[in-house]
Amino acid sequence: MTTQKNHQLSPTFSIEVVAENAVLLSWPQQISAKQHNNIIALQSALNQQLSSLIVDSVASYHCLMIYYQFQLISTEALIERVTTISTDTNYALNNPDDNSSSEQQLQVCIQIPVYYDTQLQWDLQKVAQHCDISTEEVIKQHSSTIYRSYALGFTPGFCYLASLPKVLSVPRMSSPRTKVPKGAVAIAEQQTAVYPNESPGGWHIIGQTPLAMYQCKNGKFIPTITVGQRVQFYAISKTEFLALEQRAAL
Amino acid sequence: MMTTNYLEILAINGKASIQDIGRLNTQHLGFSVSGAADEHAYLYANKLIADHYRKIAASDESTQKKCPALEITLGQITLRANTACTVAIAGADCQVKLNETLISNWQCYQLQAGDIIDFAMPKSGLHSYLAVMGGVKGDEKQQAWLSSFAQTENEMALNVIGNKLKAGSKLFFPKQELLTATTAQKQSLKSSKQLTFFEPNAPELFYPQSQITLRFIASTLFLQFPPKKQSAFLATNYVISPDSNRMGYRLALKNRPIPKNKILADKLRENCVLSKPVTYGMIQFPTNEQPIILMKERQTMGGYPVLGSIMQTDLFRLSQMRPGQGVTFSLTNYQQAQQQLQAFYKKFI
Repeated sequence: MTTQKNHQLSPTFSIEVVAENAVLLSWPQQISAKQHNNIIALQSALNQQLSSLIVDSVASYHCLMIYYQFQLISTEALIERVTTISTDTNYALNNPDDNSSSEQQLQVCIQIPVYYDTQLQWDLQKVAQHCDISTEEVIKQHSSTIYRSYALGFTPGFCYLASLPKVLSVPRMSSPRTKVPKGAVAIAEQQTAVYPNESPGGWHIIGQTPLAMYQCKNGKFIPTITVGQRVQFYAISKTEFLALEQRAAL
Repeated sequence: MMTTNYLEILAINGKASIQDIGRLNTQHLGFSVSGAADEHAYLYANKLIADHYRKIAASDESTQKKCPALEITLGQITLRANTACTVAIAGADCQVKLNETLISNWQCYQLQAGDIIDFAMPKSGLHSYLAVMGGVKGDEKQQAWLSSFAQTENEMALNVIGNKLKAGSKLFFPKQELLTATTAQKQSLKSSKQLTFFEPNAPELFYPQSQITLRFIASTLFLQFPPKKQSAFLATNYVISPDSNRMGYRLALKNRPIPKNKILADKLRENCVLSKPVTYGMIQFPTNEQPIILMKERQTMGGYPVLGSIMQTDLFRLSQMRPGQGVTFSLTNYQQAQQQLQAFYKKFI
């Protein structure tokens, strides 16, 4: 029915040609820090070693999309080079001596202040009801977990963080809000995130942070959280929130 | 010193934005690629200017080919040139008037200070392009943001790619100078006139009439369908639904009601849980089985099951189609899609 092949190359990931200029690498569908480490290590190796061919690469929980210059290299040759580099990368990961500075940087835990929705303007109450726990327990559960950032996307600076404690798991809203405020801290399924700007959104809002999720400086975009980093939330009062928000506006 | 080299928007009733080839290398930060909805018409307009000047001035106009241009959606915009400039128009035919006189689409023109150019609502198609020699920007000091001038509606809040265009907005262009042109050639540009006339490959023929068959590269998921289900999808007639835009095209079933038998089995659907990176032209298949086709202003990640990706040259065609027009799908492979795209770019770049 079709001539397209699914290239099964190693037991760890498969490669699918998804467009004229893009291939998608897929690992088993799971939220796993170990697997994700492999994905971003491979991403960084590919970006370095194939810099003249790769236009962009996007990592997520279990996938890596590679955009490349299809005019410069055939798809088959690209797949071969990716496979070779992935074998070398696996080797490097298994040798802990090779501890690069980027990996150390990933050990830093980013602290995000949250004014939790204690005045119940948003969804904290609903989430607590759905999970059959108190609002205090939702806050405690949400802020006591260390999350990992698995992907940037949706909007600039929006970071998918996981895994949320199982007790806080709520499905996405059946119909998304047309407006979610800037800095909204929200949860859905196994994930939590901060909305960097006012936007539409279908996750449940449990608080708000005064911390900017990105900076635009000298023509560069610097996200507060990068993929692979660790993140933790901590509760602040309304007074602290307002003070921090004011300071951020200066 | 403030430059006076600009076109001013006198009135606008549709939508307009500045677009180029897009922000190709920042999806890893969450930025939409964005860029001209219809690359064919956008590149065509820039090429008209580039070719014309290569002819008369033997200058290297390769930079012209990807210059930011004005993308106009559903026409209805009037602009005035504050100083003389060379422009080209392409895309949906807006019965453009230059100082009240109807002018031809897909051509290049010399404008003089005070000239008024007016786009009516097109009878068919959606996007028209107004390219200017050297490109346009919304602010004379505006720098490219992450290597592109493309304006993305959902990213305007970042305040890095200029303001939303409205009446009174100015589109700045560089000084219109032909360094290597002769005095006679320069003199010839002192009146408003059409600069190009002959077009051997009628550009309109690139576009389908009222129905389009979109050729797509099947996803691994689609290849797991039983043949009967694959055929069912390929035999379905869809129509473009009204809530389609630069971000995505939503399709609805042409012959309602929705059939009882699902195309995508629940068991296969349940395998698609986690969000993953998405690309231009991917066919998302939500639970209601009404496909969504991801277009230029798409987000970078998506969670819906994906049936495949439409070849890019067909997406340029689709971008000009309107709600109510018909869509069907047929299979292709990436080799064919690459050949088509490569041949397409050879014409322009």
